[in-house]
Amino acid sequence: MALPKPVRSLAAGVAALALATVLAGCSASSDAAPVDTSKPVSGGTLTYLEQQAHTNLYPPAGGFYPNGGILNQITDKLTYQDPETLKIEPWLAESWTSNPSLTEYTFKLRSGVTFSDGTPVDAAAVARNFDTYGLGNKALNQPVSEVINNYDHSEVIDSLTVKFHFKKSSPGFLQGTATIGSGIVSTSTLDRNFDDLGNAKNIIGSGPFTVASEVLGKEVVLNARADYNWGPKTAEHQGRAYLDSVKIVVTPEDSVRTGSLLAGQGDLIRQVQAYDEKQVEANGFKISAPGTRGVNDSIVFRPDNALVADVRVRQALLKATDRAEIVETIFSENYPAATSVLSKEAIGYVDLSAKLGHDPDKAKELLDDAGWKPGADGIRSKDGKKLSLTIYESLPQPQNKAVLQLVAQQWEKIGVRLNILAGDSGSKTVDSLDPEKTPVAVAMVGRADPDVIKSQFYPKNRDALLQKGGSSQKVKSFVDQKLNALLEAETSRTDPAQRLKDVADVQSHLIDQALVIPIFEEPQVFAAAPYLQGLGFEAVGRPSLYGVWLAKH
Amino acid sequence: MRRHLFSRVGQAALVLWAAFTVAFILLQALPGDALLIKYQNPDMGLSPREIEDIRASYGADTPLFLQYVQSLGGFLTGNLGYSVQAGVPVVDQLAANVPSTLALAGLGFLAAVILAAAIAFLSSLAPFSWLRDALQALPSLFISVPVFWLGIVLIQVFSFQLKLIPVINPPEALGLVLPVATLAIPVSAPLTQVLIRSIDDVRTQPFVAVARARGGSNAWVLSHHVARNAVLPAITIAGVLLGELIGGAVVTETVFGRNGIGQLTQEAVNSQDAAVLQAVVVLAAAAFVLVNLAVDLLYPVLDPRLKRKAGALT
Amino acid sequence: MSHVTLTAAPETPGAPDTAAPETQAPDEAAVPRRPRISRLQPGLVLSWLVLGLVALWTIAPGFFTSHSATSGTARDKLLPPGDGHLLGTDELGRDLYSRIVHGSINSVTGALVAVAVGLVVGTLLGLVAGSLGGVTDAVMMRIVDVLLSIPGLLLSLSIIIILGFGTVNAAIAVGVGSVASFARLARAEVLRVRRSDFVEAAFGSGGTFVAVLRRHILPNSAGSVLALLALQFGAAILAISTLGFLGYGAPPPTPEWGLLIAEGRNYVATSWWLTTYPGLVVVAVVLSANRISHSIRKVQP
Repeated sequence: MALPKPVRSLAAGVAALALATVLAGCSASSDAAPVDTSKPVSGGTLTYLEQQAHTNLYPPAGGFYPNGGILNQITDKLTYQDPETLKIEPWLAESWTSNPSLTEYTFKLRSGVTFSDGTPVDAAAVARNFDTYGLGNKALNQPVSEVINNYDHSEVIDSLTVKFHFKKSSPGFLQGTATIGSGIVSTSTLDRNFDDLGNAKNIIGSGPFTVASEVLGKEVVLNARADYNWGPKTAEHQGRAYLDSVKIVVTPEDSVRTGSLLAGQGDLIRQVQAYDEKQVEANGFKISAPGTRGVNDSIVFRPDNALVADVRVRQALLKATDRAEIVETIFSENYPAATSVLSKEAIGYVDLSAKLGHDPDKAKELLDDAGWKPGADGIRSKDGKKLSLTIYESLPQPQNKAVLQLVAQQWEKIGVRLNILAGDSGSKTVDSLDPEKTPVAVAMVGRADPDVIKSQFYPKNRDALLQKGGSSQKVKSFVDQKLNALLEAETSRTDPAQRLKDVADVQSHLIDQALVIPIFEEPQVFAAAPYLQGLGFEAVGRPSLYGVWLAKH
Repeated sequence: MRRHLFSRVGQAALVLWAAFTVAFILLQALPGDALLIKYQNPDMGLSPREIEDIRASYGADTPLFLQYVQSLGGFLTGNLGYSVQAGVPVVDQLAANVPSTLALAGLGFLAAVILAAAIAFLSSLAPFSWLRDALQALPSLFISVPVFWLGIVLIQVFSFQLKLIPVINPPEALGLVLPVATLAIPVSAPLTQVLIRSIDDVRTQPFVAVARARGGSNAWVLSHHVARNAVLPAITIAGVLLGELIGGAVVTETVFGRNGIGQLTQEAVNSQDAAVLQAVVVLAAAAFVLVNLAVDLLYPVLDPRLKRKAGALT
Repeated sequence: MSHVTLTAAPETPGAPDTAAPETQAPDEAAVPRRPRISRLQPGLVLSWLVLGLVALWTIAPGFFTSHSATSGTARDKLLPPGDGHLLGTDELGRDLYSRIVHGSINSVTGALVAVAVGLVVGTLLGLVAGSLGGVTDAVMMRIVDVLLSIPGLLLSLSIIIILGFGTVNAAIAVGVGSVASFARLARAEVLRVRRSDFVEAAFGSGGTFVAVLRRHILPNSAGSVLALLALQFGAAILAISTLGFLGYGAPPPTPEWGLLIAEGRNYVATSWWLTTYPGLVVVAVVLSANRISHSIRKVQP
């Protein structure tokens, strides 16, 4: 190196010192005493380190993981979805029926269930919940829930029987009642303005824990409910929660969160980065990586932009993307490479890996055919326009910046430039609605129901491809009639087998048209101390602390 | 003197109003707004029509000037509005965060003063010239390390390796040690420089030679005269240091996962939570104005030389 | 921004500007002074060498390294310093030394832009305020107060959001944050020089305002401003780094020192070199800039 000698020796000295200190830390710990895990122990406080503070705790906003992490402990749902089999089982509802056209659902509620303010969980309360989630409440600024389609109205049959009516078939509704967004809260909670629901203490549910105290933006303390006795019938654990309380502490710095766990200052953390997994496991700590069972972490195209309107260009980029290299370089075995638009664990998944091969030569050929010729700087151009695309980094996705940089390197090899913007949320939100500014975008959504694919791509929902008549006024002409027809059919199909076929067709269509470049299946990665037992997850990877107990250590 | 006071208070109020207005204009100039960021977020899964309805219900389409008047009126009557992102009244957020930041900044400042005094005196009194030089270089070293980096390294060493101070759930007093150190080290740098300069200045004064000749020890002479001579320049930079403390608090609070105004500001910027940001600006501006006012008013009291000229200043 | 005004502080006696006694020891001889230039100062020489090296990195990075700064070999990720990769590699297999060398252009440009914005706008404000005095002075200094009273971080972040992400825009944001410091310093210097005997004499002997400003006030204020310049240069690099930490840095894969430190911090427990080496480079540069600033201040009359 070309440093002057004194600087070099100084630098070397300081570096060596830093190295010594830091490495000393890595070799510490891991001398944990043997843990007795034979019999569950009651009591104790769990310290749970979250990456971000929760925002609004209106249940339909539970998609945000920090929100879901709290809501899943303090609210119950009408039904329980087994995270393994994905079957819908009874919970607050003992049984249910629906008419053949799936426009009416009737739920029979369990008796004796109360909210933590003492009021009963009865038909009237449940009806009020779904009226709000299905239709929204403009006067109180409460928005509609994403998981409920075609809702019309509710009908209270008797004190424990409630019936829901839909404008059209709503096959996804039953699963919708099991999601985090359909947590049942007291009417007093729903009487509050949306603006008041960011205060966790204002959320009254019937769950195994209640909010004891909160320091805004820093921590939330949950206490177990002593009289809780209405967990899902199939749950291993019944009665009140083992833990006495849970302290959720917001710890945004990755290195601090992981380090605190390893140093024994926390019991459970959410969001362990892939590069820290080895360090965590080497110290005898446990990694859990439940999948999110929805649309994979992907790059989606906005074909309204002329640069990516040609299917050959999109196919070329699909073939230029080497997902194996991405997963091997950046991630661990907890992040499987994508084999379709949907995750392997999602309902309706079809294996399309044959169409997702890495083939840079074919990619170049396709671009040549489409008329894009390499320029002096190696970047292809056509009619004086460069094949240079812009994408925004997506902060919630794990290591998205690294992923996009690798994709950019891979695309560069076939003569396509990918500019990565790390924008603020305002610019990102505005630009993401304009296909001219963002011809490609990062997309992902988790939900254990076939409706998830409609959520992601239907113009009236998330509108990932930006179609005309969808979420953006900036779109000039792009509409994918075939896709929309398939999605509409899927959400109102009454025959489950036919519905799965629709979902398969949607996936094939998206890949054949190269509208989506799936990259990897996104898990939620948690790490827990060796003595933490019984950690469960709902179907989309939010932790359930109901059955958790802390072994003697 | 009284007229001077009135004019300074008037000017302070004017600065406060101007800061409010500049912040309002600045926030309007940002692309997007809090409602868009919150409700257009795919996690909410709302249709464009639903988003429009929500915007209308929040009065997002009210003419700007009217919004400005409403917002200003709200501040004057103590109604700071709601945080769109967090879903709580801004007043609650301030109540939860101000004490924590005050403790951090106050102790940080105190620690910085002590650290600065220690280094300054040692660097003047140390026996060897190489030691003096090394100590004098410390302030430069202190400000050449990024605050966030310092915080992370302190945590790695003292919390994770030596296991002396927990970062998570620490006892209140113990938990402040590392954040205060992180904040105090960079803030102490300018103070140290001021003190070192004051010491140098005092040394060149004839009375020092006289005092020495009379048998006063080096340390006695310095400590006796420097304190008085250094307090003025130190007070003068108080306003600037206040800015440092606020800036440092943002980073320190993020690294240590402490709640506070800094962390609140950063999140509010990310979500463009206008009501929160307006409140933070007014709060910070008020603190700044008060400190400066105090400095201005204290100055003539502390420095008799200036009493005569007070009118000519500011 | 947290670092911008930091080192400026001691040079900026602010509104009441007679804090530093002007009584520059009439009988200097009474106190023995350390010899100034007579002793060779290895520290100062080293400082100039460090800045010189960085200047060379900026001009001809390709001369110092053959590795690419923006693309690496994926399977060589996170290699510790050693053969082939002097300072190791990052999470995408890019050579760290190369990223530091190539990053110097962005960091140096960023710091220079930041300082230039602060210097030009700030000094202009301060000069005009200090020279004209009266109502103009009061109004302009209140404007500076407003600028100072809005939290610098908020100001910087808002400016970046409005201008868009990037090294130069971040630098402008940092620069705007330092305008107030430069303005206060320039004004204080102007007032100090103005009150000195020779300027009053110059006015007395019929010099016009502009002539006096050019011939006496500017040259005599320049020393302090120059010293602040060197200080702010280092401070700006750190400020840009802090922006990177908060997620407002230049877009990837741009190498930039501050961003390297900020992004490398996540690997502090597993790959220490990623944040340590860029950190050491910044420490060396900032220390050098401060040392040089110090020597300028000493030489100045």
